[in-house]
Amino acid sequence: MVKFERFQLSNGLKVIFHKDTSTPMAVVNVLYDIGARDESEEKTGFAHLFEHLMFGGSVNIPDFDTELQKAGGENNAFTSNDITNYYDVLPANNLNTALWLESDRMLSLAFTEKSLEVQRSVVIEEFKQRYLNQPYGDVWLELRPLAYKKHPYKWATIGKEISHIENATMEDVRAFFKKYYCPSNAILCIAGNFELDFIKERVNYWFSDIASGKKPARIIASEPKQIEFRELELERNVPASAFYYAFKMAERKHPDYYIADILSDSLSREKSSLLYLKLKKEKQLVSEIVAYITGSIDEGLFIISGKLNDGISFEDFDNALWEVLNEVCLNPIEEKELNSLKIKMQTARAFQEQGILNRSMNLCYFELLGDANGINEEHLIYEQISCDHIQSYANELFQKTNCSLLKIKAQQA
Amino acid sequence: MIKRKNAPSLQAIEKINFISPLKIQLGEHTPFFWMKEVPNETARLDFIFHAGTTRGSNLISSLVAGLLFSGTDKKTSTDIHNELDDLGAFFDVGLGHESVLVSFYALKKNILAVFKIFEDALEHVNFPQNEIDELITDRKQKLKINCEKVGFLSQRAFQKNLFQGTNYAHQTELEDYDSVRREEIIEYFSKNYKNGLRKVVLVGSLDEVQVKEIAEKSKKWCLPEKPLFENNFNNNKGVFQLEKKDAVQSAVRIGKTLFNKNHSDFLGFSILNTILGDYFGSRLMKNIREDKGYTYGISSTEAELAKSGYFMIGTEVGSAQKDLAIQEIKNEIERLQKDLVPDEELELVRNYLLGQLLKSADGPYAMTDLFLSVDAYDLDFSFYENYIQKVKNIDAEELRALAVKYLAWDSMTIVIAG
Repeated sequence: MVKFERFQLSNGLKVIFHKDTSTPMAVVNVLYDIGARDESEEKTGFAHLFEHLMFGGSVNIPDFDTELQKAGGENNAFTSNDITNYYDVLPANNLNTALWLESDRMLSLAFTEKSLEVQRSVVIEEFKQRYLNQPYGDVWLELRPLAYKKHPYKWATIGKEISHIENATMEDVRAFFKKYYCPSNAILCIAGNFELDFIKERVNYWFSDIASGKKPARIIASEPKQIEFRELELERNVPASAFYYAFKMAERKHPDYYIADILSDSLSREKSSLLYLKLKKEKQLVSEIVAYITGSIDEGLFIISGKLNDGISFEDFDNALWEVLNEVCLNPIEEKELNSLKIKMQTARAFQEQGILNRSMNLCYFELLGDANGINEEHLIYEQISCDHIQSYANELFQKTNCSLLKIKAQQA
Repeated sequence: MIKRKNAPSLQAIEKINFISPLKIQLGEHTPFFWMKEVPNETARLDFIFHAGTTRGSNLISSLVAGLLFSGTDKKTSTDIHNELDDLGAFFDVGLGHESVLVSFYALKKNILAVFKIFEDALEHVNFPQNEIDELITDRKQKLKINCEKVGFLSQRAFQKNLFQGTNYAHQTELEDYDSVRREEIIEYFSKNYKNGLRKVVLVGSLDEVQVKEIAEKSKKWCLPEKPLFENNFNNNKGVFQLEKKDAVQSAVRIGKTLFNKNHSDFLGFSILNTILGDYFGSRLMKNIREDKGYTYGISSTEAELAKSGYFMIGTEVGSAQKDLAIQEIKNEIERLQKDLVPDEELELVRNYLLGQLLKSADGPYAMTDLFLSVDAYDLDFSFYENYIQKVKNIDAEELRALAVKYLAWDSMTIVIAG
């Protein structure tokens, strides 16, 4: 049970306080309700580029990192297709420093041409390091537009192409800040050994004079139901051919989301899932095969991916995979396996909930989904899932017309 | 009106309470450490074996580490994995130059049962040929894929030159896989695991009876003699270039052999290393990422071995900027050798390091790892008391002297892949 208190400032900032008496550290986590899905198709990669600029100095403080480091703390941030999340971890007795820093950059940034120019270069190097200079690095740049035709999930957080980042102007950046970085679009969580009254007083002190701003309306193109099988084959200079089957699955708040999550765990069990036993152990078609979900807020993807053994054709593998998936659709998993999956989830959750940073990020995320208390309730949803639920959802999911397949053909093989 | 221009006043870190785990001696050279103050249901159980890559060939040691759960006469590898799954357990096998670490994570109520599965799997492992073949196929593919990564290529070449002339330098090549024999695997296992247990670590508030049972049953694997390790490393100095066609970035590694926590300059050097490249505000990050934008990240590390250690700077930079980046790295090192670190920067690093130490001691798992990181060098928590004093008291002259003594550019191994 993760206990927390919630309050809201008059400017709309939602605040969650999580008390933990066992730690000498404090966490300040700020989630902004802005992700790559909010970008326009002509200016992709902005949410992420912006995350970099948030460290380039704010209106009253020239260097964010330096001040936090002086207080013995450190920080980082990440951007997804759905959100941008910033966190600071520091000794609890210096909490004020983190609140000072986070409130000042929520108030206003001090953009300089130099910082924009440097962060553009840094992000371009990040683009190269993660997506261009790695074997299979560009897979998500190709798979997204195959699976999504309208919804902005069709581009990756890093952006659709480097030129969008190269062409970002000061004006773009200012407008982006004004629109999305305001109290009414943020959720703040503070965790540590404090009293609620103290936290209320401190948060009011630092954040209450920031203009509310207007929570931007989210108008996102919805993805039409997929009705045809899609396939793309690309040749790449890699040693092994790889496959990515992407099935459209339920959005984050739908009950089916949880079923898909357990189903992916079932198909990914190390050395004991049906995919592994049939396709690797028995038929020796693949060297690795995994299943996972993207976990996005809007309609997500259920992925089955892996690499072919030398000499195996995509076609042979494809036939064998569909045989296994049909089996999953025909025969419910055993009660014993389902229990084992649930115990594993419980164990994973017990470990994840140990750190205050994880708890703080999750509290903000669940609050964004509708209620921070989801952190305590979600396992009840998983508990209620039955073998029949899983079988029935598998039948819905594993339809060829619900699938987009990306094949990376190895030039070297 | 809020005074936003002025930073809030800072509080110093007064004291860190270090808590040592309980020690039970399993054998003359094998302790069992138990951290029992865990305020939740989780537990971790670690086994450290004297079975690292330097105990034999790099290839065989790595295959054995990957086959510890490959099956017994009575159970297949799938059976074993199913049993662990049914207990909700996760495990991890880590292979290093000097040891193998097998870690289990589970709810504390299941840890004893997890141990029994492990005990049986390890006692009776019979290395089925099909499991060996399967692992070899996987590993070959992974090695081919890794060889497409400039980071991997540079790291391999760096290690080779760092440890030249010792078996730490040995690395697996693709063709080595073709001559693996099952007998070598069995022999390596018998020699280095059956009598190779160096340490057991348990974190979790278990019943004492259960802990005793795990301890008692682990005794049979104890190492009979004190392990010996190499300490005579001398890195191959100079520049080594590896060509990787079409790479849009180059991976750079710069470093040299150095020392571990037992050396009197370790503490001072670790502070110097922080200033140079071991935190987000380091000089390398400030210059090469935040000023020039040549890279997404650059860092330096002080890594340790049982009787030695090494220093290394690592980054991946745009191919066109690699020479400029290396020149800037050299400039930053020379700046540390010539100029005194300004008071303000030193003060920041002092605060930062003490804050990070507080974080490293936060919670039973972190505390245990902090303890293990001194115990590995026959030290105890007094090391960190000394560290706190050193962080508070080191001056700019000492840092400059350390930079002159240990960071001479011509003492470095420089590897560029791309």
